[in-house]
Amino acid sequence: MILMRTVTTVFCIFVAVPLVWLVYAAFIPAEAIVRADLSTFGFSLENFLALPDSGLWQAMGVSFAATGTAVLGQVLFGLGAAYAIRNGLKIQAIILALLALPGELLLVPLYRQLGGLGLLDTLGALILPFMASPLVIFLLVQALRRLPWEAVEAARLDGAREHVIALRVIAPMLRPELLATSVLAFASHWNLVLYPRVMTGEALWTVQAFLVELLRSRPFEWGLLGAAALVASLPIIVLFVVFEKRIVQVFESGFG
Amino acid sequence: MKARHQAALLALPALVVFGLFSVVPLFSVVRYATWRWSGTSEPVPVGLANLSRLLGDTALWQSLGITALFALITVPLFLFLSVAIAWAIEGVRFERFIKALLFAPGLITVSGSAIAWYLLYNPDFGLLVELTGFALPWNSQPAAAMAYIVMFTLWQQTGYGVLVASAALRGIPREVKEAARIDGAGEREVRRHIVLPLLMPVLVFLSVIGTVFALQAYTAVYLLTRGGPFGSTRVIGYYLYETAFERFELGYGAMITLFVMVLTLTVAILQAMAFARRTRAAVGA
Repeated sequence: MILMRTVTTVFCIFVAVPLVWLVYAAFIPAEAIVRADLSTFGFSLENFLALPDSGLWQAMGVSFAATGTAVLGQVLFGLGAAYAIRNGLKIQAIILALLALPGELLLVPLYRQLGGLGLLDTLGALILPFMASPLVIFLLVQALRRLPWEAVEAARLDGAREHVIALRVIAPMLRPELLATSVLAFASHWNLVLYPRVMTGEALWTVQAFLVELLRSRPFEWGLLGAAALVASLPIIVLFVVFEKRIVQVFESGFG
Repeated sequence: MKARHQAALLALPALVVFGLFSVVPLFSVVRYATWRWSGTSEPVPVGLANLSRLLGDTALWQSLGITALFALITVPLFLFLSVAIAWAIEGVRFERFIKALLFAPGLITVSGSAIAWYLLYNPDFGLLVELTGFALPWNSQPAAAMAYIVMFTLWQQTGYGVLVASAALRGIPREVKEAARIDGAGEREVRRHIVLPLLMPVLVFLSVIGTVFALQAYTAVYLLTRGGPFGSTRVIGYYLYETAFERFELGYGAMITLFVMVLTLTVAILQAMAFARRTRAAVGA
């Protein structure tokens, strides 16, 4: 037990230090870094004020447009596919096979294919291939299997059409799961690094491409780097903090 | 019956997306693998030249070895840390806080995390070397670079592992442990012979997840070391990216894609078989 406590303590410190340092760096005044004097505590917002000139907003805009649309597609199409599977459509094997396939493995053939469709260097390249996700479908199918089915039968007797049932009857019952999978889907698309780097150029840089370039071109401006990293993480942090309870619930219900 | 057909139609949009952007590329990559193609030039068919190059490509085999080494270090550590920490914090006052802390790196966007690590561990001017004089020479020494990628991956992913392990621990009924204690089992025996076997399915699940994380380390490699120094952290996914999009050999890149696909499939099947066997063993025991 002592061993495990020690391991836990050491690991917690190991996890916390980069986080604390990142936040601290974002708020240190620039001259403290120039003097290489970190002992005097300083607090300043100048790093954040310097962000608009760096091009971060443009990249945030691209990321929001691409990730937002992709998440909407993944959840909507995912709900449809999961509902179809729950109603007896036999495509689970395909979903599982796709699940086992790491997405960025297909960089080369997708590059050729998107080029053929004239989609390279467009928002479409960042969105269309991500309009459906096997992971979202997989999670929603699990969730659907736990739902009582009487409401669906009743709606059918009332003559409701299937897409109406999926949207009006199922979706409200699945709200927690839909929210949780949306957050996961958002984080995983927002965090794509190599894919956007390959498929789009500077005009359509996502937040990730922007941060990589910032680190490469201005490696000594710690404050600016820290501030940019924090702002770029804000959407995920906000989503998670707002929906924390539901996400943890959905996570744990799958493994309890 | 009619309802069922109507419902099946709702899967159509997702299936179209998968068909167009997963299945078609999966098959066309076979054709691209027979090309010499820079991405911008006209492709030149070269038959099986890429395949014979693949078989003799020492850099490829080296990067496979690096991937395996990376997974062999990372996955057991990931399992150990997940279970040990979940164990240590069970019922402790700060349990919720510790879980939130360990999960927090997942909330920092990946490139942002790379920035945090760069500011901390840069051997020339990072905070660590400024404060302690100790530096992790990941830009010059292969072993240090490997340690750096392993540490970063564990830093990012262990929070999730702890969450899963801790949910599983809570799922073990108190009565089972009590019964063993009444029968005279010491704490160590309870842990070894009661709790650990009951955790088996979760350990298998975590090792599968851990392997997936490990195979995705190319993002961390791209962000932190770019495969260096001397190719010592060039995991297979990064080698694929580098070949295709930094050396612009997309035809050969397609051949590597094909190779990695076959490899991934084999590993997945082996793991699924091991999974089935272990669950059967656990149920039988």
